Amino acid sequence: MVCQFCKKREATIHFTNVIGNRIEKIHICTSCADEKGFDYLKKSNFEKGDLLAGLMNLAFQAGSPEAASRRCGGCGRTYADFKKTGKLGCSQCYEVFREELEQILTSVHGDTCHKGKVPGRQGSRIDLMKKIHDLQKELRTMIELEQYERAAEIRDEITCLKNTGGGGAGKEPPCPSGKEGSAELGGQA
Amino acid sequence: MTDFGKLIDKPAGWLCEPGEESEMVLSSRVRLARNLNGRPFTHIAPPDILEEISGSVAAALAAGDIMKEALMIEMEKITGAERMLLAERRLISNELVGNFKSRNLAVRPDEKLSVMVNEEDHLRLQSIESGLAMSSAFKAARELDDDLDKRLDFAFSDRLGYLTACTTNVGTGLRVSAMVHLPGLVHNNDIRQVIDGLRHVRLTVRGSYGEGSEVTGNFFQISNSITLGVSEEDTVANMESHVRKVLEFEKKARESLLREARTLLEDKIWRSYGILKSARLVSSKEAMSLISATRLGAGLGIITDVKIPVLNEILIMIQPMHLQRLYDREMSPEERDTVRADYIRSRIEIN
Repeated sequence: MVCQFCKKREATIHFTNVIGNRIEKIHICTSCADEKGFDYLKKSNFEKGDLLAGLMNLAFQAGSPEAASRRCGGCGRTYADFKKTGKLGCSQCYEVFREELEQILTSVHGDTCHKGKVPGRQGSRIDLMKKIHDLQKELRTMIELEQYERAAEIRDEITCLKNTGGGGAGKEPPCPSGKEGSAELGGQA
Repeated sequence: MTDFGKLIDKPAGWLCEPGEESEMVLSSRVRLARNLNGRPFTHIAPPDILEEISGSVAAALAAGDIMKEALMIEMEKITGAERMLLAERRLISNELVGNFKSRNLAVRPDEKLSVMVNEEDHLRLQSIESGLAMSSAFKAARELDDDLDKRLDFAFSDRLGYLTACTTNVGTGLRVSAMVHLPGLVHNNDIRQVIDGLRHVRLTVRGSYGEGSEVTGNFFQISNSITLGVSEEDTVANMESHVRKVLEFEKKARESLLREARTLLEDKIWRSYGILKSARLVSSKEAMSLISATRLGAGLGIITDVKIPVLNEILIMIQPMHLQRLYDREMSPEERDTVRADYIRSRIEIN
């Protein structure tokens, strides 16, 4: 079979990419593969991004045009960029697009707060304790002001942070978003 | 011999080791995604930042004991065919075959532990073990992660955990997977139900070649898909218990095949083995299905003169780039079918 790129040499590399319901077959010779740096792979990745972005659009129905054009100060990317590629630009994006991402994280993971390893960086845990302390103070203020909605949000955030902290995680109630029980694998007798 | 040659011209160390449940599980893998704090993610990072990242990671790896003996392979310095060889070996992703500027691989000589640098995330720590060994694969990856954590400042949020380029990995950044061989369930037509069951508990099932691949030779890859809100230990334990359940089903399917259609099954196994031992031309796809049946025969003790690790090795070596490397020339698919048959015959004979 002839290489589909140079149409001269014999294709010695054969790939099948399954993208959604579509099957893409690639026949390429080693020289073209070398030269091209496998551009087609980028293409299929892009399409994968499209697919993911499509799913995310579903989760983003409530989004406003303002939100779509908001820019991350860290990398300069907008939420629209994220929707297009399915990838965030930098770690700050997670804060900047926090509200929008919440829905996506819930639909992907069924949860919005980390439970697991915390890097051993010195100070990280201390920062965490300080943050919890500050939030607890804010929580008291909100209750005094009868701002119960905000108070509930803060309470949830404190629960999240405590779970992240590791130590007493076992005793804490689960994250507010709730998790599935460990369902047994169904099927097959 | 170059470093690259030293690595690639022998089968991976883990492949030759006997593993738990090895008649049904080829390998267990663990991957941890990490990014450096304050740097843009790989896909938008400019070349100088990518260089800086690969420099910092290389220095951090060199400073620790765990990857002291690792080979450092710069994707830019090897050819496209060589990158494809690494991809066939599952040491790098297809992404790295195509995007190779400032992309590196650090890999220990036994290939059990490796780090891809500047893949979708700045670091992808990978650990692999033979057979069902998700806990020990995780332990090895965790140790390397702990060690790197002392030297690198990873992007982390108290709320969301490890921050990754894609929201599907955020949290633990952990992907645990097992490559399983399920011919019994495929023959019994129960595989669909098992796959649906696994999806129901939010595990992903794919063909043997990872993302977007077809199922050949009854090999499946099962992996977790949730990384946020579940701890690493629970993820590993969950995966292990579900995979064990699948293996139980597979065992039952094999038993019922033996009970109800022994002659038919033995015939299929012996015929497959016969072709494998005597064919002069064999395509990749046919080889996979012959190996699958022979592997089942070896697992059931019907075939005793070829061992499962040898069949696992053959599975890796009969891929296009590996064959070309072995015979040191570029080949047309037809030529490859010939050398593939030659290789398989000789490998079974020297066994």
